[in-house]
Amino acid sequence: MDNFANLTNQHRRYKAHVSILGTTQLHLRNPYIIAWWSAAFPGFGHLLLSKYLRGYTLFIWEVVVNVQANLNAAMIDSFQGKPEVAKADLHPRWMLMYIPVFIFGIWDSYRTCIDMNNVHLLAERENAPFNTYTVGATEINYLDRRNPVMSVIWSLFMPGLGQLHIHRILTAFFSLVWAIVFLYKSRLLEAVQFLFLGDIHMSTEVLNAEWLLFMPSVWGFAVYDSYINTVENNKLYESEQRNFLRKNYQSRSFRIKKGKVVGR
Amino acid sequence: MIQVMSTFEHSVRLELAISALEINGIQKQNIFAVPLNNRTVDRRLLDTLHHSDGVSLFSTGAAIATAFAVIGASIGFSLQWGPIYWGLIGATSGFLLGFLIDLFITRVVKKRSRLLKGKNPQVILIVECDNKQADSVEDILWHYLALGVARVET
Repeated sequence: MDNFANLTNQHRRYKAHVSILGTTQLHLRNPYIIAWWSAAFPGFGHLLLSKYLRGYTLFIWEVVVNVQANLNAAMIDSFQGKPEVAKADLHPRWMLMYIPVFIFGIWDSYRTCIDMNNVHLLAERENAPFNTYTVGATEINYLDRRNPVMSVIWSLFMPGLGQLHIHRILTAFFSLVWAIVFLYKSRLLEAVQFLFLGDIHMSTEVLNAEWLLFMPSVWGFAVYDSYINTVENNKLYESEQRNFLRKNYQSRSFRIKKGKVVGR
Repeated sequence: MIQVMSTFEHSVRLELAISALEINGIQKQNIFAVPLNNRTVDRRLLDTLHHSDGVSLFSTGAAIATAFAVIGASIGFSLQWGPIYWGLIGATSGFLLGFLIDLFITRVVKKRSRLLKGKNPQVILIVECDNKQADSVEDILWHYLALGVARVET
């Protein structure tokens, strides 16, 4: 059950929508930062923009083609200054199809971000009412203030938990599932255990480099996405409450009177 | 008559306070709320088309941290400390570098006035009531964490 439904169709743009699966909102974003996340991992730029289906498509495409083309292994060898090994790593059958989609992801998220910034400005000025509360069989979601630091801390422990904290179910589920895949395939946690035992050599030995290279982007994205969305959800909460107070508690007949402040 | 003035932060407690006042017999038209524009919320649109306040100190750091972590972990495979330590070193140094870049830009280049530390009064709430009700009104306001309360006798 929602507290707002667009039945009259009299508004042109809405700046937010509170639904069972999460709080979706337009807010100003830096298009270069969005483009950077698309470069770090295709799909992340779109997920930051709440364009989930495009984001999922690009993300899954990236994992499949990257692994088949052996791209991460080639990156590691290139960073280590071994271009000859890197050349041998790559599978040309897969590698060439990587390039156009990779660039598309960056370009499209950059372009979409600028468009959505403009839409946001118009929606903010129009200030149309939007759904701020929903309760259903599976979930309850409402506008609220949350602590961005807690989103960061939980995202560092496990990508996806920061998104659960602010009820961003679609990103939370996706991040959790892929963090499991990458953590398991990279054997990162076994390597950490060896580090605790003080055996750096065994720790390096046990790691699967190719899968490990996905993790920094996943962690960085999870932290950044949960942090900025907590901040933006808080701002949305404040602006909605401001509208509510203006509408309900500014009676025309109210007179502010002169007098003396009474001490206790 | 008495007017009780108070300041609040935006939070669900403010609405709880208003609803408690209404249950205690204060009419809706005798409650007056003035949401304030706080310093950073009052933003210039052109200046912030590519920025959102409060976030900018974080964006560059997160981006560079990810890049340095990838490179650190890659090179770390052939270094003595291994990929995990070098990945973490890369992430931490990258984040600090980005944070310092942003801090330099906001502090030195832009010199933007930032939000004051701690709790800020965001809403002024004025309640008009009888002398008899004033005590209970004041109690309700304090109970729901008003930042400051004063009575004005007219």
